[in-house]
Amino acid sequence: MTSWIDLSCILIVFFALAILATYRIGGMIKIFAAQSLTLGLVPFFLHADALSGRDVAIALGTMVLKGALVPYILFWAIRHVSMRSEVKPIIGVGLSIIGGAVLIAGAFWVSLSLRLPGKQASDLVLPCSLATVLLGFMIMVTRTRAVTQVLGYLVMENGIFLFALSLFNAMPTLIEMGILLDIFAAVFIMAIVVNHINEEFEKGPAAVSRSKMGETF
Amino acid sequence: MLFILIAMPFICALTAFLPVGRRFRGRLFFAASLAHACAVAAFWKFSPAPEFNGFLVLDPLGLLLLSIVSFLFLSVAVYMFGYFEHEQRSNRTIIACLLFLLSMMTLVSVSYHLGLLWVAVETTTLFSAPLISFHRNRQSLEATWKYLLVCSVGISLALMGTFFLAVAAHRLNTLSLPAILNGAPALSVNWLKLSIIFLVVGYGCKMGLAPTHSWKPETYGQSTGMVAVIMAGVVTQCSFLALMRVGQICAKTGLYGFFSSILFLTGVLSLAIPALFIIGERNIKRAFAYSSIEHMGILVLGLGLGGVGLFGALFHMVNNALAKVIMFLTAGSVAQKYGSSRVNEVRGVIHVYPVTGIFLIVSLLAGTGMFPFATFHSELLIINAAVSSRHYLLAVFSVACLALIFIGIARIVLDIVQGKQTEPLLKKKENFYMNAAIFTAIIALAGFGLWMPGPLERVISEAVTLVGA
Repeated sequence: MTSWIDLSCILIVFFALAILATYRIGGMIKIFAAQSLTLGLVPFFLHADALSGRDVAIALGTMVLKGALVPYILFWAIRHVSMRSEVKPIIGVGLSIIGGAVLIAGAFWVSLSLRLPGKQASDLVLPCSLATVLLGFMIMVTRTRAVTQVLGYLVMENGIFLFALSLFNAMPTLIEMGILLDIFAAVFIMAIVVNHINEEFEKGPAAVSRSKMGETF
Repeated sequence: MLFILIAMPFICALTAFLPVGRRFRGRLFFAASLAHACAVAAFWKFSPAPEFNGFLVLDPLGLLLLSIVSFLFLSVAVYMFGYFEHEQRSNRTIIACLLFLLSMMTLVSVSYHLGLLWVAVETTTLFSAPLISFHRNRQSLEATWKYLLVCSVGISLALMGTFFLAVAAHRLNTLSLPAILNGAPALSVNWLKLSIIFLVVGYGCKMGLAPTHSWKPETYGQSTGMVAVIMAGVVTQCSFLALMRVGQICAKTGLYGFFSSILFLTGVLSLAIPALFIIGERNIKRAFAYSSIEHMGILVLGLGLGGVGLFGALFHMVNNALAKVIMFLTAGSVAQKYGSSRVNEVRGVIHVYPVTGIFLIVSLLAGTGMFPFATFHSELLIINAAVSSRHYLLAVFSVACLALIFIGIARIVLDIVQGKQTEPLLKKKENFYMNAAIFTAIIALAGFGLWMPGPLERVISEAVTLVGA
């Protein structure tokens, strides 16, 4: 199953890079959903020989919460605002991709000197999760819309989760579920705040600066 | 018993979400806080048994934090009776979220599993965010957004640190605190170091330590006094508890030197940055927020020094919380009376509201660590520990920063208290409930400064032994 794990790890990094290269917010959310679904498949590949109820629960939890509900909430947050298109990056898409490539290379270089103890299913898990975390950071700092910052945070969380899924069972299932649920709640609250920001900036005479809507000010 | 203490505020919070009357909600909040306080007071006499396979344990560190939490919520509950006499807005969100926070902070105090601890700390972030935008305007939304994003990212770094710790402890295959402490020699040192860095940065961000303090002035400046008290007094100190848990592991593995070098760096920055920024500040809540950064810096310096310094830090946890009650509740009552907390719009408070004016002076003295308030003693203990462990430069630097911060706060507070009076929004009347809450905290803080009760000293000493630094 190693090749399947490798493939999913690479796909997860690829999706993160694709988010960085996308102009439309709707597109970014869809790519994020695809990334989360891929992440949800990882436990199946990791423990293909002896699938436990815990793996199934984590996988389903990831897919349902991050792959379906979170994108749904994000679409809700941007529903009636004319901000579906143009992301307005601080640095252009071309430069972003080059920066992202540098980050991926950096992540692989750093993980050369980090040796995971015990026998690992795949060598790609650690570098790929680090790369995803770094790309998430980059999405957060180079994109100015509130929703894209949430997406950056979520990509970062996916990177952390990839690392966690593939390791061990130091966490009881209940706590792991708690972590998932917490992240979901975080997105929920962020979406509400984004919505408040949009409403606040739409009303009143200050609505002249429509282009500023949804931006973090 | 512990589980009931976590569940009770949670159920009350769900009740407060229902469409019930304003008065009922206020009373419910007061009753929940009072019940919580009574239970915690009983824990000083009879310690409860561990629950859920040893995931929930109340040790002296937890007891200290839990008592602070209880006291602060009770003060806020009393203060709230007065606050909502003059407030037309619904109290649904604020009370429900505060009760959720009470439940989660109880969980932080008693959780003995590092994963569970992370979940609880993260949840406190989530429930405090809606509180900040109580006055829903642009500035408060901006503050909420900043807080939510900076703290969420920070706390996810702590999650990464927790997973690195799990890698370091892969032979133990658990993250339960006693198991890690007992099996400390089996931890892999390199991964442990990596995890310590991530945990300190992550939980430090949540504590508002420099250089990740940027959310603090905005957040405390925009939220109402009651919310700022809870955030500055206990939400931040919950993360400090998490740092002390990390300290426990470091002390067992001989990495305490490494741990304290990081803490010194961030502690020194957290003293220097407020000292620089507070000088030009014209908003009293923001000035108090800088003071909160400084107090967090003092706490981590004490933790880094260990021994007497740690004793000072634990005592400072109590004092800082009490001082925050005095400072932010007074600032909140000024802000409600004048509709602003900026120097230009608020002047001559003592001529219009004599009691509030005196409270402002007291909050200056309590917040900057003047005798007879106990903040003076705990800061002195930590500086004393720095001198006796030959960190002379650190001691001199800390005193210099504290002096600068005193000048900064004194300037703004005295400007507000004295001078030509400006016209307040509300009619000239002091409020009994608000003043009673602040006055109780003043008595407690001055009392601890003059005489330290035996049980408190015993619990703090036990907690110092527990960390073992």
